[in-house]
Amino acid sequence: MSSPIRDAMATSDVLITVGSGGVGKTTIAATLALRAAMEGTGSMVCTIDPAKRLANALGLEALGNKEARIPDETFGAAGLLPRAPMYAMMLDIKRSWDDLVERRAPPDKREKILNNRFYQALSTALAGSQEYIAMEKMWELHEQAKYPLLVVDTPPTAHALDFLDAPNRILDFLDNDAAKWLLTPALAAGKFGLKLFNLGGSYVAKTISRFTGTETLQQLADFMLNITSLTDSFRERAHQTRSLLQAPSTAFVLVTGPMPERVDEAVYFHTLLQQNKMRVAAVVVNRIHAPVPDALWDEVARMGGPLQARLEQTLKENDLLATQDARGIERLRELCAPTPLVLVPRFELDVHDLKAVWETSRYLWGEAQVDAAKATR
Amino acid sequence: MNPALTDKRLLIVTGKGGVGKTTIAAALALESARSGKRTLVCEVNTKERITQLLGKPEVGPEVTSLEENLWAVNVRPEESMKEYALMVLKFESIYSAVFENRVVRYFLRFIPSLQELVLLGKILFHLKEKRADGSFRFDRVIIDAPATGHAITFLSVPQVIVDTVPPGAMSTDAAWMRDLLVDAKTTAVVLVSLPEELPVNETLELHQALKDRVKLTPRLVVLNGFIPARFTEAEVEAPTTTLVHDTMRAHHARSKLSLASQKTLQKLGLPVVPVPRIFGTEFGRAAIEQVVALLSGADS
Repeated sequence: MSSPIRDAMATSDVLITVGSGGVGKTTIAATLALRAAMEGTGSMVCTIDPAKRLANALGLEALGNKEARIPDETFGAAGLLPRAPMYAMMLDIKRSWDDLVERRAPPDKREKILNNRFYQALSTALAGSQEYIAMEKMWELHEQAKYPLLVVDTPPTAHALDFLDAPNRILDFLDNDAAKWLLTPALAAGKFGLKLFNLGGSYVAKTISRFTGTETLQQLADFMLNITSLTDSFRERAHQTRSLLQAPSTAFVLVTGPMPERVDEAVYFHTLLQQNKMRVAAVVVNRIHAPVPDALWDEVARMGGPLQARLEQTLKENDLLATQDARGIERLRELCAPTPLVLVPRFELDVHDLKAVWETSRYLWGEAQVDAAKATR
Repeated sequence: MNPALTDKRLLIVTGKGGVGKTTIAAALALESARSGKRTLVCEVNTKERITQLLGKPEVGPEVTSLEENLWAVNVRPEESMKEYALMVLKFESIYSAVFENRVVRYFLRFIPSLQELVLLGKILFHLKEKRADGSFRFDRVIIDAPATGHAITFLSVPQVIVDTVPPGAMSTDAAWMRDLLVDAKTTAVVLVSLPEELPVNETLELHQALKDRVKLTPRLVVLNGFIPARFTEAEVEAPTTTLVHDTMRAHHARSKLSLASQKTLQKLGLPVVPVPRIFGTEFGRAAIEQVVALLSGADS
């Protein structure tokens, strides 16, 4: 049986899972990495999701900023015997930023950058910074070429767009004519080695400083001055990550649920990826409710007794869920064409151990199928 | 309104992605408006959904009346930035000269977290806003906040700015925003969860992070999509055909998980309100009305 996921894995060394929150994206990322390892392709799954879901899905206590190999015992406990190793990590945003500065900044600038309050905000709390560092990490891991397959999980939709845009944003920030023009007096002062500089010259700078305070602009100027030493490497990296995202060996797996609001978001995201010339290997529709088989309706209709009414109510509810899901699937099929859909059923309990992850992979791999005939009737 | 929330003027609704935060925010807003409180419900720079759920046309970034005692807004960075700048600068002409300059606009995007600050600033401004007679323009403001990790980042922004940005209009504003958020008499967090293992665990972590790191006060947990028991253990175990047995067992497993989730969440020491799952192919005003009834019913 053909499977778009299997094809994508055969032709890609980077898979990126994208989608809204709460659709099981992290689990699907883990599933892809697990399946690869089972098939003999060493894999690494990297999550940047702020919530610690991946460790949960892998049955690990916690994941750190370092790549950890999933221990054999974990696989053994699930009755699995992978033919290649599987690794996992969760990005620690602050640590990754510090590593980056320490690696790339000239020695005389390092401390200045690390101690600057703007840098501290940037590396811990600034919206968008985790997206940037994730791109950086993805590129670094890819460059190491240690893992034949790299699976990168992204934060939920609104932010996943930032993720695509992150390298450009950081470049805008560091290499922006506006900033240079505004801060020229300060930058010039810095270059001539003066300790105190004056922003008072420009009307625009004066007005903005009514907002932020003069000192803020000075500190920002200081930060920019020091971090300019990194601009070239940021610029180079931005181009590299962009081309990695668009490379023929990179594929996106868009994960969604079948309910109406998720479908709208998925379609929106699919359009954006295509506009950005990114290859979408498949739309994974997760947690689909199975329709009630006719035989069961018939059986309950005949049974009578105290259970009948309650069972009929249950079947009615199940069918409503299945009907709603079938509609969502139809809309996705139509609006995301020609990207293939991969359907994954809702399991009785939440997927949170390797065994359940393995079961999920059988649907991704085309070994098991949701009863699509009835689901789309 | 749930007793835990009746005297709170700011409700922040958050939880894991996909748990139904928007549904609960919409229902709380409707319930609040009906109790006679002038209520503003805010979405934060997102694809607007609350108005659609309430069966109303989109409102966008302008505070717009939906029905008696109920207003809605979807705060967006660009418009909020302008409103904020005008408040600080007082003069439209200066705003146009400086802030509508493309170069400056570009620059402002990069002042750390300024965007989040103005979004939150606009919302909290409406909480403080007064009418000519000195009474509050809105008795209650409800925020449909971002999901877990982003909610923590978003709600921490005032504190981060107080810590990072030297004195100026921005840090002064950040300080009063922080004070309002951490004021347990004014502000309450409503955590929304689902009766499944991952969402429940995440709710526990979120509760901890909001209390310890952001210093906010969670007051209520809404357990959305609750499945009440329908079959007894004995009925599930009784011999029958495989299909019937599987149907009962699946339902029973979900209802047991619902109950277990409720018990786990109760360890937080907060009231946990189960909102039973609503079945239907259209999720709109009728469903929200059902949720309002379920939320209010839980009071008594």
